[in-house]
Amino acid sequence: MIMDDLALERYFDDSIANDSSYLVEEDLCLQSSQQQPHASSSKAQSSTHLSGGAETSGKLGDDLDLSFLPDDLSNQSSISTAAAAADRNAALNVLEDSGICLENNLPDSGAVELQKSTVDLGPESRASPFCPMTPMTPMTPMTPVTEKSGIIPQLQNIVSTVNLGCPLDLKFIALQARNAEYNPKRFAAVIMRIREPRTTALIFSSGKMVCTGAKSEEQSRLAARKYARVVQKLGFPARFLDFKIQNMVASCDVCFPIRLEGLVLTHQQFSSYEPELFPGLIYRMVKPRIVLLIFVSGKVVLTGAKERAEIYEAFENIYPILKVFKKQ
Amino acid sequence: MSAAGLRCPGCGSSNIVDDDLYCQAQLVCVDCGSVVSEGTLADDPVGGTDVSYSRTTEMTRKPCLNLIKGLERVKEICRILRVSSEIEDLALTHFRQAYEHESFINVTLQRKELLAGCCVFVSCRQRDWPITLGTISCLLNADQTLVGGVYQNMMKILNIQAPFINVTDVIEAHVQEYKISTQHVPEELAEDSKVLSKRAVALVELAGDSWIVTGRKPLPIMMAATYLAWQSLNPNKHRLRLSLDKFCQLAKVQKRKPATTRITELKEVLCKLGRELPWVREPVTQNDVVPLVGDILEHRHTLLTRALRTHERAMEADCTQTFALNSLTEEVAPSQISESRNQTANASSVVQPCPNTRGENQEGDGDENHQSEDPEPNWGKRVLFAPPCVLHAKMRRVERPVQNVTGDEEISDSEIDSYIRSPQEVRDFAQMQKMASCSDSGKS
Repeated sequence: MIMDDLALERYFDDSIANDSSYLVEEDLCLQSSQQQPHASSSKAQSSTHLSGGAETSGKLGDDLDLSFLPDDLSNQSSISTAAAAADRNAALNVLEDSGICLENNLPDSGAVELQKSTVDLGPESRASPFCPMTPMTPMTPMTPVTEKSGIIPQLQNIVSTVNLGCPLDLKFIALQARNAEYNPKRFAAVIMRIREPRTTALIFSSGKMVCTGAKSEEQSRLAARKYARVVQKLGFPARFLDFKIQNMVASCDVCFPIRLEGLVLTHQQFSSYEPELFPGLIYRMVKPRIVLLIFVSGKVVLTGAKERAEIYEAFENIYPILKVFKKQ
Repeated sequence: MSAAGLRCPGCGSSNIVDDDLYCQAQLVCVDCGSVVSEGTLADDPVGGTDVSYSRTTEMTRKPCLNLIKGLERVKEICRILRVSSEIEDLALTHFRQAYEHESFINVTLQRKELLAGCCVFVSCRQRDWPITLGTISCLLNADQTLVGGVYQNMMKILNIQAPFINVTDVIEAHVQEYKISTQHVPEELAEDSKVLSKRAVALVELAGDSWIVTGRKPLPIMMAATYLAWQSLNPNKHRLRLSLDKFCQLAKVQKRKPATTRITELKEVLCKLGRELPWVREPVTQNDVVPLVGDILEHRHTLLTRALRTHERAMEADCTQTFALNSLTEEVAPSQISESRNQTANASSVVQPCPNTRGENQEGDGDENHQSEDPEPNWGKRVLFAPPCVLHAKMRRVERPVQNVTGDEEISDSEIDSYIRSPQEVRDFAQMQKMASCSDSGKS
């Protein structure tokens, strides 16, 4: 039973439309990333993009995109808190993969322009008492007014699960698919890999699937859909149910050495530092519930997040703590 | 009880009586005497008595033998380490508590022994008794990773915290292990334990300040410190010639492999400080720093401040030079300058305006190459002391730039088809599998 391809796409779109967690950052990410492509490897380019972004900010300043706000928006009454959240999330989301490090007191033009251009949110938002929920064109990146690190953790791995909704014959899949391996004595699932986005999936006979290796939520979803398509093409009535991000891993570098011994002394209830067992300090943050691996070189790995915002929040929480332990 | 309705299978009569005379109740036919049915021999309920044997007062509950053995082992370890009685009691409490938990009640005896060692370890730490996991692993004669696993499991179960122990606290106990006094070795190689320990402590403190200790296993560092201390206390040709291997053989300690790298790192730090000694004319290298160690350690704070100041001045001189160079090449776009300033602005605390321009210089070079792999300016190279993992940063493979993906894109059929085997391939593969399994079964 092979479903009509068009009907299939529609089906997938339906299931996604009902999944609220996907209403948020996608629009913003798509549009912002069109304006500001990944720039960690070509830093010279990114500055021009920054200034380019600053120029267009005038146009976009009128539209206030709040689609990235958290789910319980109905509870938010004041525009100020919403705007503050908007500031933060906009800055973070738009700069997500650019790897640009902004300092607060930048001596020169590029970022200052941004600051000036985006502080006023536009007449519309001030006038209306409630936030407009329609996804609009995103704001340009705003440098936050509060003390921020300016460093954006980069996502390294996303683990997601999806239910294909039908039992699968793993032997058959392993026989028919090129990119599959199946060794029932070692593990009771087919290990399938695709090239783009470069990911790995574990497909179980119950129809459940785990997808790992993607570098963003959207890539993870696209990859999961591709695996579902392969399974479909092999003749199973695969669907795309309950797609959920289970874990996100990110890493970043604060660029200064950290006295782990000091950190474990002052934050004993959260930290575990055993140099005889592991060179890094394991910091279990309570809010948000994220585990951070902090190394003496200044590199930080954050894991355990279900959403990107948790990672950013955790990093912003740990950065001032780490700065205390940056000694010379 | 009347047995109305029953018929004797032997003669068919219905004259059956209940015969209770003997211990077993029986239904007997009067006419032919055959037994129709009989009762149970014992009156116990089905399935045995209500109260099981193990729960009766018949048997006094004896504590588990392995628990007793484990407690004995804890006491043994405490006595070998000669810890205080308080620590011993604490260890016994922890052991009793942890033993009952499901993670430790049905495990191998080896694991239970490791648990004993870990309880002692935790108790020592809680009472500020300096000890390393390496020592415990040696005592238990077990792999350190295994011990580490049991230790972390135990910590989670007991839900306790153990304060962190500094290397400087442990070094004194560590130095005691070395059999290097006049009783054991010839005169020119012997050293008093107290003097040795004092110098080793100073070396370890210096190592701690210069980022050699953080994140590393303590034992190799302590070994390196002891070795250098021993060499520098009497830098005659005998001692200087003796390698770490021979030293460990001499002192009857087990050599740790990373100790050689630690020695090199420590010597490097000593060189950096040795350069600042005002009475040293020639440049200080790794080979001739050992005789100077005593002086360096004595004045290490002053030398440290001097070295930092020299380093700062060197950085500034460097910058003004590159800045002068750059002022000639004015076509560098202002956006590039601002970008590289952004890039390098959050360098370490030694940052000054200059490193930005230096970074900019590198940016300019990188730009011309048009390579996607533009090496990040290593902030470690700009400071005097940095953790060795930063100085010798591993080359990371360059990640491909992230494409912009919505997750909702169209998936082309051709792409999916490329992941599916053609019928011929399937046949070939199936055949090969059959052949492989045949040959396997043929062999076995």
